[in-house]
Amino acid sequence: MAAVVMSRCRSRLRFSSRWFFRSYFSSDSSGTSGSDPPAADAPRSGFAAAFDLQTEIRREAGTSAAGLRGSSSGQDESFASLLRRSPLVQMGPARDRVVVGRIFHVVQDDLYIDFGGKFHCVCRRPADGGEKLQRGSRVRLRLQDLELTARFLGAQTDTTLLEAQAVLLGPLEGREGRD
Amino acid sequence: MAARALTKGLLGLRQLRAVATGYSCGGHQYATATSAKPLQPAHDDVSEKVLSLPLDKPDFFRVAELFSVKDLFDARVHLGHKQGCRHRLMEPYLYGCRLDQDIIDLDQTVDHLQQALNFTAHVAYRGGVILFVSRRRQFGHLVESTAQECGEYAHTRYWQGGLLTNAPIQYGPGVRLPDLIVFLSTLNNVFQQHVGIRDAAKMNIPTVGVVDSNCNPCLITYPVPGNDDTLAAMELYCRLFKMTISRAKDKRRQMELVHGLTAPSTPSS
Repeated sequence: MAAVVMSRCRSRLRFSSRWFFRSYFSSDSSGTSGSDPPAADAPRSGFAAAFDLQTEIRREAGTSAAGLRGSSSGQDESFASLLRRSPLVQMGPARDRVVVGRIFHVVQDDLYIDFGGKFHCVCRRPADGGEKLQRGSRVRLRLQDLELTARFLGAQTDTTLLEAQAVLLGPLEGREGRD
Repeated sequence: MAARALTKGLLGLRQLRAVATGYSCGGHQYATATSAKPLQPAHDDVSEKVLSLPLDKPDFFRVAELFSVKDLFDARVHLGHKQGCRHRLMEPYLYGCRLDQDIIDLDQTVDHLQQALNFTAHVAYRGGVILFVSRRRQFGHLVESTAQECGEYAHTRYWQGGLLTNAPIQYGPGVRLPDLIVFLSTLNNVFQQHVGIRDAAKMNIPTVGVVDSNCNPCLITYPVPGNDDTLAAMELYCRLFKMTISRAKDKRRQMELVHGLTAPSTPSS
């Protein structure tokens, strides 16, 4: 109990402005931590509080900027900034990165999975959870290579297989929890 | 009189052949000269106005509104092949190389694509025959259905050697060749340049081609640097070409209706 009170006080001090902002607009502004207030008015700590703060700031920035800019935000970005912020570039080297892909074609045991790169990857259907994976299901992959290329002896350019290589880890588990 | 002779000389064979084809557009005709007849004077003014009006503005069909950098980016048009697959002549079109993968400069692609779509629109406006070519088997159906929906033609199968260069013998005399060939992928299945590019250059047929970072952009009239391996990018190109051609054809019908009403009903002899 004391620990809970202590943590609540600490969070209140750290996000004092936030708490003040909330208490100004909430009906029960007593501020005591003894009773359990409703979820919307509870002083959030750690990541939840930071997330709320950032979304509010971003929303305010968006509404003020939308008045200045005539077109939507996506149209004004240059190619360089789009590229810099794209998930593919932010990911870095593709070796051993876990990504989410979607199956767009099935040929018996081969699953053709598109994960947002230039090429798709082809994985064999796993023996245990295989029947659930059909066209349209989302899966987790560990990427090995974005494009399989190699320079053979006597060739001027690389020979490319027009495919990526990835290891299938399994279906996306979040779906089962949400359902 | 002199002006009419001058325009006749400029437009030249195009108007003479128009009577044979029933449409005022330049085609590679192999018919004999007996089918050529001078046009009626009354139709001359209307058709001249209809044909010359789009040429006054740089973007008469407003193709620049059809897409943006964000659309190209979301369709993964900027992704190229690996560095080892790069063609030397594609280097000016590349933004850079990131972790061994070439990135195509979308600012240049936007300009090239606008020029290509504008040219396609003008050809479609004048009733030209447009041929879509792609040897990528996974997109063959997409290309064929695109061509069918916009009322043009597609060739996504094996390209016979004399298709353009030996046409009157292979397909009979009086064959009309395409006025524009759109290559949605300039490579064939063994990563060599498609034969159609060289043949179209030989037959003076302008070409529009999507060139990836491993393609040769030399002989293509309107190259469009971009990705040709991803389904999203191909769907975008197909959609853009279909919208452009439909727009141009609708505009032509509209212009003919508008100017046809204002032309004198009785032809002056």
